[in-house]
Amino acid sequence: MNKKNEQIVQKSNFNNKYDLKSIPKEKFKFANKNKDLHDKAFETKPVSFFHDSWNRFAKNKSSIVAGIIILIISLFAIIEPIVDPKAHVDAIQYPSGFQDTNFALARPYNSIFANTGWWDGKQEATIGEDDYNLLRFTDSNHQRVELIEEVVESYTIVGLEFNTTKYKVDKDTYAVGCKYVTLSKDEYENLVQYEKDNDIYQKDNSIMKPIVDVSSYLSEVETELAEKGVASTSIDTIIDRMTNYYNSYPDIYYKLFPKETNGQYSDTKFSAVLENGEPVPIYSKDTEGNLVYSKFKSSEYTVRVDYFDYFTYANGFEPYYLFGANQSGQDIYLRLALGARFSLLLGISVSIVNFLIGLFWGAISGYYGGNVDLIMERITDIIGNIPTIIIMTIAQIQFTNNTSLENALGSAGVLILAILLAFVYNGWIGVASTTRMQFYRFKGQEYVLASRTLGAPDRRLIFKHILPNAAGTLVTSSVLMIPGVIFSESSLSYLGIIDFSSSGICSIGVLLNEGQSASLAQNPHVLLFPAAVISLLMISFNLFGNGLRDAFNTSLKGSE
Amino acid sequence: MQDTKETLKYIAQRLLLMVFTFIIIFVICFILIRLLPIDQATGAGQDPETYYKMQVALGRMYKTAGGEYVKTPVLTQLWTFLSNLVNPSTYVASDGTIVTTSRWGYSWQIAWLTSPSTLLFQGLPPTVLINIYSMIISIPLGLAAGIYMALKKNKWQDYTLSVVVMLFISVPSFVYAFLLQFLFAFQWDLLPAVRADYNGSWFTAEMFASMVLPVIAMSFGSIAGFARYTRAELTEVLTSDFMLLARTKGLSRAQATIRHAFRNSLVPIFPMILGQILSVLSGSVIIENIFSVNGVGSLFLSSIQMKDYDVFQYVGMFYILIGLVGTLVVDISYGLVDPRIRMGGRK
Repeated sequence: MNKKNEQIVQKSNFNNKYDLKSIPKEKFKFANKNKDLHDKAFETKPVSFFHDSWNRFAKNKSSIVAGIIILIISLFAIIEPIVDPKAHVDAIQYPSGFQDTNFALARPYNSIFANTGWWDGKQEATIGEDDYNLLRFTDSNHQRVELIEEVVESYTIVGLEFNTTKYKVDKDTYAVGCKYVTLSKDEYENLVQYEKDNDIYQKDNSIMKPIVDVSSYLSEVETELAEKGVASTSIDTIIDRMTNYYNSYPDIYYKLFPKETNGQYSDTKFSAVLENGEPVPIYSKDTEGNLVYSKFKSSEYTVRVDYFDYFTYANGFEPYYLFGANQSGQDIYLRLALGARFSLLLGISVSIVNFLIGLFWGAISGYYGGNVDLIMERITDIIGNIPTIIIMTIAQIQFTNNTSLENALGSAGVLILAILLAFVYNGWIGVASTTRMQFYRFKGQEYVLASRTLGAPDRRLIFKHILPNAAGTLVTSSVLMIPGVIFSESSLSYLGIIDFSSSGICSIGVLLNEGQSASLAQNPHVLLFPAAVISLLMISFNLFGNGLRDAFNTSLKGSE
Repeated sequence: MQDTKETLKYIAQRLLLMVFTFIIIFVICFILIRLLPIDQATGAGQDPETYYKMQVALGRMYKTAGGEYVKTPVLTQLWTFLSNLVNPSTYVASDGTIVTTSRWGYSWQIAWLTSPSTLLFQGLPPTVLINIYSMIISIPLGLAAGIYMALKKNKWQDYTLSVVVMLFISVPSFVYAFLLQFLFAFQWDLLPAVRADYNGSWFTAEMFASMVLPVIAMSFGSIAGFARYTRAELTEVLTSDFMLLARTKGLSRAQATIRHAFRNSLVPIFPMILGQILSVLSGSVIIENIFSVNGVGSLFLSSIQMKDYDVFQYVGMFYILIGLVGTLVVDISYGLVDPRIRMGGRK
């Protein structure tokens, strides 16, 4: 009661002071009399759905890093085959791309790490004396082997103790020593000119090395063995075997002699004849006593060359392999780029095709529902339950045996067709079921109903109203499909179910397959580099896809 | 009572549907495989005469008047195959006795004239053993890791484990199979690189040691899968309203977590485990190939590589059947475990 009175008193005080009831009419005027009034424009920028998603994506550091890694691998796959001189070698000399069996299984080499004991193209091995001598005595320009330590192994056979010395060495896998090559007259003259220009002609560090005179030395061996009373039949065998041995190792420029045990001369083991710890050369000499550097026969020159230097001279680049070489002397680094290119292209194109088919199928099945949905679901059920591996096998055998198809597409084209068929035939099912779910979710909502009431046709409802809302989820699921396709392709070609051997296509799976047949225990580099690249690719794609999923998930808005 | 009846009806419906789907898939695959060009059997101990005789007995070829062997039409082959399933055809062996043919055809390349079912049953023990060992390791470890991550959500333990889980899910299984083989078998020489030969028992120490690497290689992926799934489910349950109610009733955090959260989070995980149990029968082709396990997966692979179509068809159908039954079991168990999910309910 009291309070109310107080208020009344206050109000009357206010009224007395200003006398609101009796303000004169002239004092009233319109505030905006001569202005047009409009809604104010927003001063802040509107944030669209995709802009909002992008903001959320940009906050996700790991996805950004993953995206950058994918970009780097893609750039590597595009640029490396363009800039690498190994990708532009003479097509006549190397019909199936660059390869040189002399450098088969060469170790990874990086010039930054030269002579550091790691990534320098050297291989540690424990070898016997003969092998050690073979590597140690060389007249090539490169040191082939470096001794780490001598290991004396002793073992007993029937009570007798034997000692053998083994050599633990660092073998340079690029210093392959000397090889014989045949040159035409022009090529030979060019080589001679090159050597003269560089002032190495017939010097110690020349590319061409003196020819070895095996036959006259072996006749000496023959007489010596005969003097020692070896039977003539076994002399013939020994000389035959020694000739073969000299021919198969063009490095040997020195005297060899059969190993002697208890008066018996071995016809398989030959050791170097040493004078003062050095081998005795048996170079062939002309009548004036000069060294002979080439043999001319039927318009071709046969020369003995230091192969590393000759390779550099003939191809214009040094035969170094950043990631090593596989068993046929191909560059793993270059092939990884080609493989990554193939895998990425396959993954992206299969995903796009699957995305389109799945979108179409899922939209129809989800929008119309009912019996249409039931029948379409049964069909996907049947298709989805036949494994890719079965379709892949059948398609590949069927297509490669079809001559008219092979003539039209070539052996690589036929294989790619089979792979595409196998990955597309049930790959779209995932996208279809996601699309179907999204349609079930949105088609009953009020805004769709409102649009339908206004007379919008089905087409408009599907493409204008429902699809844009489902776009985020669908894009994410198709990005996540790319690593799936890359993984399936590489495991199928690793297992040899996709047989690329005749087509010349290189995929990461093929590299993995080569890696396994190159023996993981002895040559791990052939396998480990491709395995690392595919792991990196899978991790990046998964992180990137997860980032996209979170970015398109509107329920996360403002939660961070 | 009404509920049980409905459930049974639903299960019967699904079962019927599954059989129907399987038959259609079988017919499709049968026709596709029989349309493949036949490589004539060649090799040691495989004479073409027996080969053709068997092909005729199986109804796949017939002899023309000119003495040439010609393939029968595919649909006729399908009919013969189906009637052979009921009543196998016979042929006269070289010693004059009448022999019934195998219902499922023969292996022509892997093991001359062996029934594919024999080969499959030879391959089952190592596959099943390796899968069971892997399950015994991966289910408890995966669940434990997932629970730990959910309880430590958004702390450093969770972040570290999440990175590890993400790595194991992304990196292809053959990569860590190679790494394991390279490190443990070749570099450090601790464990055998390939499965030991069978000598009378599957449970020798030697056999067990040789199975360690494939089992670990197989477990990594499923541990990571279970951990991620459990973490997602448990975090969702832990933040739901009934957990708050449980706490307000006066339960301690541990009590509420164990009695309410765990049980509810296991609802979607249990069917996943059931699905795994069924898949012990099918081997991983890649892991079995790397570690020379010679199980079902290896058999499937060699049937593809050697173009042994009957074995390919038999093992392929086996894989498809396991896939179908697996989906069925998982779907049905969802309804059985969680009564809120009404089976076959209208949308």
